[in-house]
Amino acid sequence: MKDVVFGQYIPGNSLIHKLDPRAKLIFLVIYIVLIFCTFNFYALAIPFCLAILFMLLSKVPVKQYLKSMKMMIFVIIITSVFNLFYGGGKVYFTLGPLSVTEGGINNAIIIVSRIVCLLIVSAALTFTTSPTDLTDAIERLMKPLKVFHIKVHEIAMMMSIALRFVPTLLEETDKIMMAQKSRGANLDDGGLVKRAKALIPVFIPLFVSAFRRAFDLAMAMECRCYNGGKGRTRMKSLHLQKRDYFSTVFFVLIIAGVVLSDIFLPSVVR
Amino acid sequence: MSFISVENVSFHYDNNDPERLITENVIENLNMKVEKGEFLCVLGHNGSGKSTLAKMFNAMLIPTEGKVYVDGMDTSDESLCFKIRSNVGLVLQNPDNQLVASVVEEDIAFGPENLGVPPQEIRKRVDSALKAVDMYDYRKNAPYKLSGGQKQRIAIAGILAMEPRCIVLDEPTAMLDPRGRQEVMETITRLNKEHNITVVLITHYMDEAVLADRVIVMDRGKILTQGTPNEVFSQVDLLKEHSLDVPQATEICHRLKNIGVNIFELPLDEEGCVKALWEVLK
Repeated sequence: MKDVVFGQYIPGNSLIHKLDPRAKLIFLVIYIVLIFCTFNFYALAIPFCLAILFMLLSKVPVKQYLKSMKMMIFVIIITSVFNLFYGGGKVYFTLGPLSVTEGGINNAIIIVSRIVCLLIVSAALTFTTSPTDLTDAIERLMKPLKVFHIKVHEIAMMMSIALRFVPTLLEETDKIMMAQKSRGANLDDGGLVKRAKALIPVFIPLFVSAFRRAFDLAMAMECRCYNGGKGRTRMKSLHLQKRDYFSTVFFVLIIAGVVLSDIFLPSVVR
Repeated sequence: MSFISVENVSFHYDNNDPERLITENVIENLNMKVEKGEFLCVLGHNGSGKSTLAKMFNAMLIPTEGKVYVDGMDTSDESLCFKIRSNVGLVLQNPDNQLVASVVEEDIAFGPENLGVPPQEIRKRVDSALKAVDMYDYRKNAPYKLSGGQKQRIAIAGILAMEPRCIVLDEPTAMLDPRGRQEVMETITRLNKEHNITVVLITHYMDEAVLADRVIVMDRGKILTQGTPNEVFSQVDLLKEHSLDVPQATEICHRLKNIGVNIFELPLDEEGCVKALWEVLK
C-alpha cells in the first residue's frame, strides 16, 4: 500500500525543483498537447529528448521514474498491440483477418513513445513540486475563473487537504485490513465479486473514520481562524525568476522545433 | 482583571445533535477565572464537561446561559470571534486531524495566513514557533512521517504562530505514548515559564496536573474542588468518591497514613514520596 510512487513529492534542490510551479504546470499542459501533435519521428524526438532532459535535471533517481511507469505498463502494451494492426503500407505478416503493417508498426512506436513521454514529464512535475506548491499554482492560475463565480480558493484548499490525508488514510486502511484479517476476514481469496464484497468491512470503518477526521479538521481550522480565502495572505509569494524566463524561451524554441518538423517532414502516422 | 472569566455559565447541546441524545446541562452554573500567566489544569473524567468548557474559552461554543469573557471580550459577540480565537488558541486531542498542510512549516503558516499577516512576518513567526517547540530541524518534513509527540508539538506550534496569549489544550496527550506525552508536557511547561503564555491544560492524567500552578477538578458540569495541586490531591477521599485517581505517590502515602504511619504532608511525585518515607524511617 505504501509504495504508491506516482504523484509523490521527492524533496530536492535541483533546477526543476526551483522552477516556478505555475510555469511547470503550464509547460506540462502545453507539452501534453505538443506530444499528441507529433506526426513523424523527428518531431517526436524533440519532446522525447526534452522528457529525458527533465528526468536528468530533476536529479530524482531514474528508478523512481521506472517505478511510476510500472503501473501503466499494461496500458502501454495493450495500446501498442492494437496499433500494430492499424495502418497501411507494406504487410509484414498476416494473422487471420489482421495484418501487421509498416504503418501499424510506426503507429505503435509513436503511440508508445507519446505515453512514455507523458508519464515521464508528469512524474517529473509531481516529483519536484510539493502538493502545496502545486495547489497554490492551480489556485493562482485559475484566479481569472472567479469572474464565473467559481470558488477557486475552496477548490484549491480541498485539493491540498485531500493530498495531505492520502498517506494518513492509506495507513488507516492498512490497519483496518489487518484488524479485520486478525478477526478472520478473508480478503485475498475468491473471485472478483467475492473479494470486492470482502472489502466492505474495510471500507465502512474507513469512511466513518474519514468523516470523524473531517469534523475534527474543520474544528481545528476554525480554531486557527480559517475564514475562506478572504483577507488571507501567503507565507511564500511566488515571483518569476530569471530561470523561469530562460526556461520559457527554451520551451518556446522546442515548440517551434516540433511545429516546423511537423510541417516540413512527411507524416508517418495516419 | 483575569484573562478569562466564566460567569454563571450553563450549557447543553442541541437536541438534534445526533451524537448526543442527552439534553441535560453538560455544564451547570459554572463560575471560574483564568489569570494571566498561570498554568491551570482542569481535571475530570469523561463526560465531566471539561472539553465543552475548553471550547467555550475560544468561542467555538457559546454558553446557553451566562457569559464567558476573554480579556474583556464577550465570546457571544460574533464580530469578536476571530480576535478571541487568535488570542486563545485551542489544541485538540488527535494531532493527525489538526494538521492542514503536507509540509510542517506550511502547516504552521496556516494560522497567521488566515489572520492576514504580511509574508515576511509570517516567516519570522513560523521560525520562532518552530524553535519554541524544538522542531526547527523538521520544518521541511512531511507531518505523517513524524511521531505522535512530534505531531502534537507541530500542532502547538501552529497555534503559537498566531501569537496567542493563552493556549488551551484539550487532552493533548491522550493519544500519545509515554515518550510523546513527556515531550508535549515539557513543551507546555516551557512555554508557560519561558514565554509567559497562559496555559489551560485539560486532562485526566493526574501526574500532568501535578505540574500546574492551580488545579480545578470538574464533575458533572460542576467544580468539585480547586486549589494548588497540593491542596487538591490531599483530598484523596473526596476524589476517590467521584472515581478519580490521585498520583501513585500520593496514594501510597495516603494509605500508609490511614494505617497510622506518621506522614504530615502528602507528596505529589516519586521524589516527594521518597523524602516523606525517609522522614518516617529516620
